Amino acid sequence: MTDTQAKPRPRSSLPVWLPVLLGILVILALFAWFVLPRLRPYQFNGTVIQSEMPSTNFTLTSADGPVSLSDYRGRLVLLYFGYTFCPDVCPTTLADVNKALDQLGNKAEDVQLIMVSVDPARDTPEKLAEYVEFFNPTFVGVTGADEDVRRVATLYNVWYEAHDEEGASGYLVDHTATLNVIDEEGHLKLLIGYGTGADAIAADLDYMLR
Amino acid sequence: MKRFKTRWAVAALALAATIGTVACSEDAGIEISDAWGRPSPSVATAGAFFMTITNNGAEDDALVAATSPACGTVELHESFMNEEGAMAMQPVPGGEITLPAGGSVVLEPGGLHVMCIDKLQDFTEGADLELTLRFQNADDTTFDVEIREP
Repeated sequence: MTDTQAKPRPRSSLPVWLPVLLGILVILALFAWFVLPRLRPYQFNGTVIQSEMPSTNFTLTSADGPVSLSDYRGRLVLLYFGYTFCPDVCPTTLADVNKALDQLGNKAEDVQLIMVSVDPARDTPEKLAEYVEFFNPTFVGVTGADEDVRRVATLYNVWYEAHDEEGASGYLVDHTATLNVIDEEGHLKLLIGYGTGADAIAADLDYMLR
Repeated sequence: MKRFKTRWAVAALALAATIGTVACSEDAGIEISDAWGRPSPSVATAGAFFMTITNNGAEDDALVAATSPACGTVELHESFMNEEGAMAMQPVPGGEITLPAGGSVVLEPGGLHVMCIDKLQDFTEGADLELTLRFQNADDTTFDVEIREP
C-alpha cells in the first residue's frame, strides 16, 4: 500500500456516506426523543395499591342528606380526611385538587372529592359543605357520629387524634393527610401523599381516566 | 425549546435575585417579603399567613408574637409530619421562630406559618390583611398580607 501517487482529494467533496450517517443519527435522536418516553410504562406520582379487595362501602351525612361511597360508582373518588379549622394542610390539598381538576377539563366530571371530617364535634354538615364548596363547588363534605367517622377512617388506614393546645385554638386534630383514590369499580387504587402538588395529581388522575 | 427558555428565565431570575439581595444586604434589620395567605371560606375560622423573613442584622433575632385586626388571636404554628405519618400542627416549640443573623426563614405550606385564629375579616382573593410582627430585638413591623393563590 502506497499513497504517494494518490492526488489529494479536493477539500469541498465530503465522503458520500457522511450525509447518510448524519441522517441516521437524526432519525435515532428523534426516535429517542419522541418515541422512547412513550414506550415506558406510566410512573404514578402516588403510591399504587394492588389489592383486588373492593373498598368497603360507608354512609355518612352531608348537608344534602346521606352520602355513600357506592353513590359514586363509575367515577374516581378522592377520599380525604380533614377538618374546617385546619388552616394549612387541608386548604393546600383541597386547592391542589381543584387546580388538578381544572387541568383535567371535561374529564373532571368523572372525579368526585369527598372530605370526611375528623372533627365531627365542630364540623356540622352545613359548615362542611360551605367549606369544601369554597374550593370547588363539586366537592362533598361528610360527617357523622364520632364512632362512625372513626370506623370509616380506620377502614381507609387514616389515623387522627385531637390534642388540646394552650392557645386560642382550643384543640387541633392531627390526621393522615393522604388522598385515597378509589377507581370506577370501587377498588382503592392509589394513595396520594400530602404535598404531591396539582400537576402531579392531575397526571395520575388523567392516566387513571385514560 | 420551551425547557431551554425556562432554564434561561430561571437563571436570569436567580441572577436578578442575587443582585437584589446584595443590593439590600447593607440595610440592617428585618425584611419581610412575599407575604401571602390562601383564600378560605368564612366558615373556616382559622387561616394561615406565609412569608419569607430575612434577618439582615449581625445578631440573631426571633419572631416572638404577631397581631392583626383581621384575627381574634394570632399564634406562631408549624405543620409537620408526625411519627404516625400523619400531618400534625402545633404552636412552635418555645413560642418563637429563630431568625439567624444574615439568614432567611421561609414560612410556607406544610411548615411554619403565622396562624390567624377566629378570623375577623374575610380571606377573599385580592384582600390585603394587616399584620404586625413582634421581634425579640428588632422593632415591630406592620405590613399587608395579600390573600391569593400561591
